[in-house]
Amino acid sequence: MAEGFDIDHLAKLARLNLTAEEKALYSSQLNQILGHFQTLAKADLPETIDLARVVSESALRSDEPGPVLGAEAVTRIAPASRDGQISVPRVVDDEA
Amino acid sequence: MSSSPSDWEVVIGLEVHVQLHTRAKVFASSPWGFGKEPNEQVDPVVLGLPGTLPVVNREAVEKSILFGLVVGSSVPEQCAWDRKNYFYPDNPKNYQLTQKDFPVVVGGQVEIELPGASRNVMGEHKFIRIHHAHLEEDVGKLSHAGSGSLVDYNRAGVPLLEIVTEPDLRSSAEAEAFLRSLVALLTQAGVADCDMEKGQLRCDCNVSIRRRGAEKLGTRTETKNLNSISSVRDTVIYETARQIRELEAGRSITQETRGWNAELSRGYVLRDKEDAHDYRYFPDPDIPTLRISRETVARLQKLVPENLYDRQRRYVEKFGLPFTAASVLVANRELAEWFEAAAAAHPANPQGIANLVTNDLLRDLAASGGAGAAPADEVLPGVSLASCPIKPAQLAGLVKLTDDGVISKQQAKEVFAEMFKTGQEAVTIVDAKGLRQNSDTGELEKIVQEVIADPAVAKSIAEYRAGNEKAINALKGPIMKRTQGKANPVLIDQLLRKFLG
Repeated sequence: MAEGFDIDHLAKLARLNLTAEEKALYSSQLNQILGHFQTLAKADLPETIDLARVVSESALRSDEPGPVLGAEAVTRIAPASRDGQISVPRVVDDEA
Repeated sequence: MSSSPSDWEVVIGLEVHVQLHTRAKVFASSPWGFGKEPNEQVDPVVLGLPGTLPVVNREAVEKSILFGLVVGSSVPEQCAWDRKNYFYPDNPKNYQLTQKDFPVVVGGQVEIELPGASRNVMGEHKFIRIHHAHLEEDVGKLSHAGSGSLVDYNRAGVPLLEIVTEPDLRSSAEAEAFLRSLVALLTQAGVADCDMEKGQLRCDCNVSIRRRGAEKLGTRTETKNLNSISSVRDTVIYETARQIRELEAGRSITQETRGWNAELSRGYVLRDKEDAHDYRYFPDPDIPTLRISRETVARLQKLVPENLYDRQRRYVEKFGLPFTAASVLVANRELAEWFEAAAAAHPANPQGIANLVTNDLLRDLAASGGAGAAPADEVLPGVSLASCPIKPAQLAGLVKLTDDGVISKQQAKEVFAEMFKTGQEAVTIVDAKGLRQNSDTGELEKIVQEVIADPAVAKSIAEYRAGNEKAINALKGPIMKRTQGKANPVLIDQLLRKFLG
């Protein structure tokens, strides 16, 4: 694979049904983006963690319980619900 | 071609997921707890609704660091969170917040104790290395009903510490011993409650086999979501036998994810979530990297309790306790501290105190419900001493009365039962019941002389005088009888020797 990625695999992971035209378009766009990173990767930088994104423990929250939405509000935003639970198509990974 | 199971060596690594003891969730302020109505412990941050931002719970971070200190890991300067992306209904945001490259705990080791040849013999000790532990969020709970599945997000966002071992375990017994030690360390440090009935500890178990003496590891399988120590043990036994059978039949082991059916005691291949292994991790842009100050580490270091096996060695070496008593005491920190408080109040006889604690006290606590019947799967009884009617110093007082010869060992049992019933001091009960052994020399001297004069014991006296030390014991019974058992045995012995010359 010249691009270094498999557009069909990526589409599947993202749950996208892409047409042949879309695959071609997104492949070329992704290649451009990856090109930017290749340029960045060539830069000679020291191996440090991005310090601009480091905070001290004062940025942590205290262990104080706060308000909850309630099952009624939680299930209202779901497409389907039953008995206070969100209803989804059957997902099974156990021995049925 | 056939070979015996001993030609093979099993190699086991565990990933242990433990819910941390906090009140709020790990990135949200929603409370959490077992047994609530579905979806009643959910807030917008848990669901990842637009406009929300996760903020890390300090308590969850500190409990994680405390675990690291308990297992002697080096606490990293920084830790960071990543997104693990997958689509599955147990996951409300379509990603799980976890730590991939910069976990909160790196390295460490857990001492384990294997079963001895018998109950009163200590087994072999080993150290199992910890690779790392990372702080992540638990996911929701799915239940399957008819043609659909139902989702409860109460568990989503609960702080979960995933503890990953090196592949150091070599048998089902070692896996079991490791989990028992780990549970003791976590509960004794207050990091987690590890209530397996409530799903607070779940394991993924990696198993491979290789020819004994081989360097190269075999292909491993991972059995996921084991929720009891016995399931881990049974999985190792099952998976080892299955892999040996496959290889000896000339087949190969497939690297696969498996499940365990505890009711049928058998494993099965899990239908993989599609491409579940391609999680496309990337650093979470919402949560900045956290710098862990050395002040915090120093403060938490003070909360690290004495390691249970260090404590066990100390009890055997310093207090002279038998292994059985020491191992019972150290299994529970509260019980060990209770024992030590009693031993400090009467330092002359820690064995006597340990004996009463591990036999009488535990038995009566269990009978009164104070010890809370431990779930069958749990090794460490959840002994609660909060409601114990006897205080450590009171128990020490009872042992001292016995040691001083004020009451006999037999009477001590009676006084203990009364203390447990009423919470009174031993000495109060002894006096109220008139149990005090007779130490009045004048009265006792008279009785001793009368007994000696009785022709019925003349033979014993002659034997004693002829050099048979033991013959003197035949005289003690009649004396005890005449004093209704209240005479001090030490004093009787002294008086007999005096009069018999």
